[in-house]
Amino acid sequence: MHEIRIAEDLSSIVVEAAKREKLLNVTRVNICFGQLVQIVPEIFEIAFREAVRNTPASKALLDIEILNVEMKCMKCGSDFLLIDNQFACNLCLSDDIKIIHGKELFIKSIEGE
Amino acid sequence: MEIKIMKNILDRNQHRAEEVRKMLLSKKLLMVNIISSPGAGKTTLLERTCEVLGPKFRIGVIEGDITTDRDAQRLKKYNIPIVVINTEGGCHLDSHSIFKVLDSFDLDNLDVLFVENVGNLICPSQFDLGENFKIAVVSTTEGDDKPEKYPMLFREARAVILNKIDLIPYTNFNLTDFKSDLKMINARVSLFEVSCTRGDGLEMWFDWIGEKIKSIIFPMEGSQAKNL
Repeated sequence: MHEIRIAEDLSSIVVEAAKREKLLNVTRVNICFGQLVQIVPEIFEIAFREAVRNTPASKALLDIEILNVEMKCMKCGSDFLLIDNQFACNLCLSDDIKIIHGKELFIKSIEGE
Repeated sequence: MEIKIMKNILDRNQHRAEEVRKMLLSKKLLMVNIISSPGAGKTTLLERTCEVLGPKFRIGVIEGDITTDRDAQRLKKYNIPIVVINTEGGCHLDSHSIFKVLDSFDLDNLDVLFVENVGNLICPSQFDLGENFKIAVVSTTEGDDKPEKYPMLFREARAVILNKIDLIPYTNFNLTDFKSDLKMINARVSLFEVSCTRGDGLEMWFDWIGEKIKSIIFPMEGSQAKNL
């Protein structure tokens, strides 16, 4: 259900940007979610539709890119993708790792006229 | 025409959370965000914690509840400041709601503020409240698969309280599997195996959280961040 609140915040950002850029219609909203954020795209789409109702973005297409969880080992420097929830280096097995991608929740751009 | 934005969608929440964090730091006050599913035992954990740590530290509680104040009623007997945030159906607390209620507390006369988040394992873990750290509470009756199903919370949590260990014989909960899944997700997390109703294992939790509170009240120069 956090999809609703995130969609509302997204709508505010889109409406603000459209106003600033003097767009009458927003045709596309490009966003990016990391896999760890556990957003269900179908639910998010419904929440977004509700959030942008009666705004210049009411007919905008929503493009959601989902990013895999990518990590870096702080011990041996290897970069690797998360497999089976194993938050440890797949080479040296160190648990001293940094999550590089996978926690994103950001808006990339909007398109409009 | 395409307009680049590249902005965190929860930017406003994040900024407010940083404000809360700064305010708490200036007041030498620890804030702990307690997250679990409904019925895992957050309020019972707080009851036991208030009983034992209440005489040693000045405790405040923020109760996140969808509609009622029943959890807050249970804590009233400890004579501590409690503020209820009713989310009116919302599945999590956010930093704006926390910021608004901080005024209701005498922050100069508190050592620790426990935030009991709304019962949910996904949504609350996305919203930074400005806390020092998150605690995940999970009970054996929910099954041993929770870390695997909700990795974000268990990855972010500083400690995990496994509650209702006295009920393991009546469930199919596999402690070995639970521990091995948790270790894969967060090898450095502190795990406390407890029964909040019977009292098993709680001493270690009291010591641990007591040390965290002390490290805020009496920070060794420059080491506060490390201790937390």
